[in-house]
Amino acid sequence: MTSKIINMAETIKDAEDRFLETMFASAPIADDGFSVAVVRKVRRGLWLRRLAVPVAALIGGVIAFKPLAGLVAAVVSLSSLLPQELLSATTTLIPQAQFIVLGAMLLVACLLGVRSLEE
Amino acid sequence: MRTGDDHQLVARVVSAQDTAAFGELVRRHQSQVRNFLRKLTGDIATADDLSQDCFMHAWDKLQTFSGRGSFIGWLLKVAYTTFLQSKRKSKRYVEILEQAGHATEMNGPGYSVQHDEVTDLDKFLAVLTDQERAIMVMSYACGLSHREISDATSMPVGSVKSVIFRGKEKIRTSFDIKDHQHG
Repeated sequence: MTSKIINMAETIKDAEDRFLETMFASAPIADDGFSVAVVRKVRRGLWLRRLAVPVAALIGGVIAFKPLAGLVAAVVSLSSLLPQELLSATTTLIPQAQFIVLGAMLLVACLLGVRSLEE
Repeated sequence: MRTGDDHQLVARVVSAQDTAAFGELVRRHQSQVRNFLRKLTGDIATADDLSQDCFMHAWDKLQTFSGRGSFIGWLLKVAYTTFLQSKRKSKRYVEILEQAGHATEMNGPGYSVQHDEVTDLDKFLAVLTDQERAIMVMSYACGLSHREISDATSMPVGSVKSVIFRGKEKIRTSFDIKDHQHG
């Protein structure tokens, strides 16, 4: 009931309100390509966002390649310090270990690629 | 041509990032948003730049539109926030220049008309603060209810009413307008 009275009070306009409404009224502004410009800007932003992740991954990969190669070389040289029996046992247990690791990495890369294409 | 109401278009934009639906929303509401910002800034070019920024922010934040209340009310809230942010940035810019010892000739936070023809409305708006101007324009130019203005400005409805009352009082005293003697 109270809210109804408040709403009614809001809709009742005196002469001053009507005068101000007339003063504040203005003609509609023609679009004149405004909405097209906004949509173009939005689409550009969307494309930039879609490209940002793959480009960042590529740049990151290029930057990280050299240190990673150094790390792999260091790990390989460290493996010579390990007992020969342990190494032979590992290769016996998992003969295709390097292929499995490589396959997993490729799978992850493919999944990421498919997801970005879907988006 | 209206192919669906605003809420349906918003749903299409949020669910499928439909830029065509967003374009339709921009077409429908650009006039009100640009008029609102033109009255707030007093400058057509600045207002149109801010309107573009406003719609870009609206695109980013559209998922926060709850569907409660009108879409134009929500859009004017985004426009008002964009205006305040730009105001803060230009104020900070002036402060940095002043700290660096440069004299500035930029306008202060007040309203300044940047076009040739100064209308009665420009004179009215010039006596109001930013907040009063925004609320008066939302009420009298955009036709928003006190509740919608309260949502748009994050102010209690009572405060909105008192700002409108104060704004009317200022206009009345500044221009010697007598109550109920218009028209």
